[in-house]
This record gives sequence, C-alpha cells and structure tokens, in this order.
Amino acid sequence: MTDTNTKPQRPLPEKSRVAIPFWNAMREGKFIIQKCNSCHSYVFYPRIRCPHCFSNNLDWEEASGKGTVYSYTTVVNNAPSGFINEMPYVVAIIRLAEGVQMLSNIVDCDPSEIYCDMPVEVVFEKLNEEIVLPKFKLVK
Amino acid sequence: MNKLRGKVAVVGIGEVPTGRYPELDCMDYLVESSYQAVQDAGIDKDEIDFVIPCGTVYFQGFNSDLITSRIVEELGLKRVRNNAQVFSGGATSATMLKIAGSLIYAGEAKNVLCVHADKLGTGLTGQEGIDLFAYAGIHREWEVPFGQHYSAIAGLSLTRYMHETGTTDEHIAAVQVSNRKWAELNPNAMFRKPLTIEEVLKSKMLSTPLRAKQSNMLADGGSAFIVTEAQRAKDLTEKPVYLLGAGSRVTHYSLSQEKDITRFGYADAAREAFQQAQLSPGDIDIAELYDSYPIYELIALEELGFVERGEGGQFFLDGNTCPGGKLPVTTNGGMSSQGHTGGGGGVAILVEAIRQLMGKASQRQVKGARFAAVSATGGTYMDAHVEILGTEIP
Repeated sequence: MTDTNTKPQRPLPEKSRVAIPFWNAMREGKFIIQKCNSCHSYVFYPRIRCPHCFSNNLDWEEASGKGTVYSYTTVVNNAPSGFINEMPYVVAIIRLAEGVQMLSNIVDCDPSEIYCDMPVEVVFEKLNEEIVLPKFKLVK
Repeated sequence: MNKLRGKVAVVGIGEVPTGRYPELDCMDYLVESSYQAVQDAGIDKDEIDFVIPCGTVYFQGFNSDLITSRIVEELGLKRVRNNAQVFSGGATSATMLKIAGSLIYAGEAKNVLCVHADKLGTGLTGQEGIDLFAYAGIHREWEVPFGQHYSAIAGLSLTRYMHETGTTDEHIAAVQVSNRKWAELNPNAMFRKPLTIEEVLKSKMLSTPLRAKQSNMLADGGSAFIVTEAQRAKDLTEKPVYLLGAGSRVTHYSLSQEKDITRFGYADAAREAFQQAQLSPGDIDIAELYDSYPIYELIALEELGFVERGEGGQFFLDGNTCPGGKLPVTTNGGMSSQGHTGGGGGVAILVEAIRQLMGKASQRQVKGARFAAVSATGGTYMDAHVEILGTEIP
C-alpha cells in the first residue's frame, strides 16, 4: 500500500543570507547573478566577498539565462530519498554565458538528446510559494 | 615539505578485514587496527605520544568520542600528550601522514598513531548510506536541491571525461576488473570473486554512464599506521617506509564550481611530490591510486604522469596494472573492491602502499618494490594529494 502522504519530501535549498535577493528574484521570474563592482567579475553562487578580488562591493545583475552543458548524467537508480519519485532525472553542470558554473537539472527532454557543450536556457520551476528553482531546457 | 624529505618513516601498520560485520563494534576495528600497528612497529604502546584519529562518518556520536580522546582511554595509552582528530574525508590518509611527519620533524611528537575505523556497511541501511552521501560535501543551497549525490558526481566526471578523450565504457570497466584481480589476492577485501568486463557492463545502471559494478560498496573496517623519526625507524624495522615527497591542492567544495572535473589538482600535486622526492613517474614501482569510483583512479593515473591523457583506459585494458603487469595499480583492490569505509578508504590504500614496500603483502607482493606513489582525494574530489614513499632515500 502506498501512502502518498509519507513520500519523502524533496529537499529545499537551505537559503543563505547573502542569496536572499536571488531567491526573491526567482519568485518574480528573474534569474540574477552577482557582479563585482571592483574587478567586474561575474560571481555564482552568491558570495559574501568576491572570490576573485576579495571585495565586498558586489551587485546583482540579470543574467542572460543562456549557457551550455559542461557535463550531465541521468539518474536512473539509487537516488537519494527525496528524489526517488523523480527518477529518471538529469543532473547537469551548466556553464552560463557569463562564465560561471552552476549545478541544475535539464528538464522537459529525452535525456538521449543531450550532449556536452549543447546550448541550454533557464526555466523557472516553482517548488512552493517560497522557492522557485533555476532549471534548464535544451535549445535545439 | 622539502625539509621533511626522508626525515620521517612509517614503521608499523594494522588493518582489520573490510566488509559487513554486524556482530562487531566500531571500537573493535579501532582497537584491533591500533594493536596490530603497535605490534608491527615493535614499540611499547606507551611510547605513543600523539594520537591522530581520522573522522568517522557513520555516527556523529562515535566521532565525538574520538575527538575527546576515547581511543587513548580504550588503549590505555599512558604517555599521550595530544589527541587531535584530523579529517579531510577520503584524503585524510595523506593529511594525517603529513601532519604526523611535521609534528615529529618539529620535535612535538616522537611516535604518532594514525588510526581510522568506520561502520558504514552495517551501521546504516543502504538507503541511509545513499542519503548520507547526498549531503556529505554537497552544497545544501546550490546542489542538494537538484538531487546531487556521489553516483551522479561520478556520472558527471565520466560523461565529460569520455567526451574529451574518446575513452569507452569497456576501458572504464577494465579499471574495476584490474582492481578486482588484486582484491582476489587480498584477504581483507570485501569482494574477491573474479569479475569480467561483460559483467561490469551488464550491471544495473545508476547514473549514466556509471553502473553498479563500477561503484564502491559502503563497508565496515579499520586501519592504522605509526609514524616515527627516520633515525629511530632503522632501529625498529629492517624496512622503514620513508616519506619522500608530498604535494597537494584544494580546488573546490561543490563539484559544480570545479573548472575541470576530469583533472582536478592532481598534476600540480604530483609535480610537487615528485620534485621533493627527486624521482619521476618512471622510478615508481607501484601506484596506489585512490578510486572510490574507477574514473578517479584513471584520472589519477594520467595526471600523475604514468601515461598520457586519454591513454589510461587502454593501459588498464591491456592488463598493465594487474598482478604481474608493468605498473601494479591499487593493489588492495581499491574502494571499489576492498570496500568503502568512509575516510578510511584512503587510509587503506596508504597502508597498502606501506605494506607492499615493507614486503608484507604476501600473495600479492610486488617483488622488489622500492618506491610507491599514493594518491588521495576527499569530498567531491575537492583536493588532490600525491605522496611518494620509499624504502630508501634517493
């Protein structure tokens, strides 16, 4: 017997103080990343100080939402509890056009269509009223 | 590290079998491994003046015991000046040895016991093990919410590595087959049945292209070693194993932040270690390379300079790394065949290198081995460590 109420929940991001603007923007359908006002580097994930020049003068900028697939894998067995019901799902490292990298999922595709360095763009996946996650879809 | 070259040596090792032992306590592995190491070193237990326990992962409470000197009390060590836990995940082996050596060289310690035990095989259920490794070393804000875990991490490295080098599934499977051939000769290994490439490639897919038989298995186990001054070492044993070089780099915490998930910091670590040792890859008799997943053993083989980039798979497939091959690699069977005991997977590989150089590896002894290269890495392959050990100081 399956009791859907006891299904393990997908883990939500443990939000950091410095990333509050990011999560707020995601709720409004905007994908923003940090840019350092001192050395002009783009920064992701959000940092307290610039990892390049150590400045704390970081601003937010709307990102292009475009990137490429650095690498990917399709999880088909032995997923963590919170993801058992999501299988198969694609985990990917995305290289954003701004030059930073992030982990995400590639959604709405046949995993066999994915290849390294393929172009992707961001989509917004609402988990609940608080959390919208940045995911990616293939650009064909 | 240049100052440390040849100044300290390992003089004793201990290890309990790796596997699933629900009837034993984690303390059984710790005490037994430590006892064996003391006996092997031929010292009195009360000569140990510094204890370095590696972190234990299966239960935080047990880890707290180790931090607060429980092993000193359990062993009844009377002259210990410090108990200080060292933990850098799977790289703890390298970190413990480097710290123990530095303490001895600085005159802060004479005989250091480095010991590890964990109970990941029977202290957790299978799903608890998967879930533990969906958090350990994985960013809780930027990676955990996307279903990241260690099989996926290995899948990500494999996908990119195969894309860049043209290495095939068969090549990757050959790494595991090589490890298994060594494990067949290792009474402390968990998996000792022969394994073929076909069996690896038919096993259950976990995270593409990683299959179940290319994965490690969580296990119970423990191992230990004792480090002392090089001068003293010669009086204790015929074959002290000297630390000749140690190089390392920390490159990232989150896998997604690493610029090259097919190389990491191994090349820089290796350059440092070989320079200090005044040796080159061609001088090495055995390469004890940290696996956890075969792809990382393959990457280490290439990045340490034993073969060119992209040629490692064929090197394994041709049998060069197997018993009787021209470069024996990971001769305890690695974590994929001996078993994955957490931070201890790396300790077991380091202990194996010492065992081989001491000439104590019985059935799988590599005859006349003088120099060994050992690699280690922790977390999501966050750091790369290379150590060069030898029975003589070149």
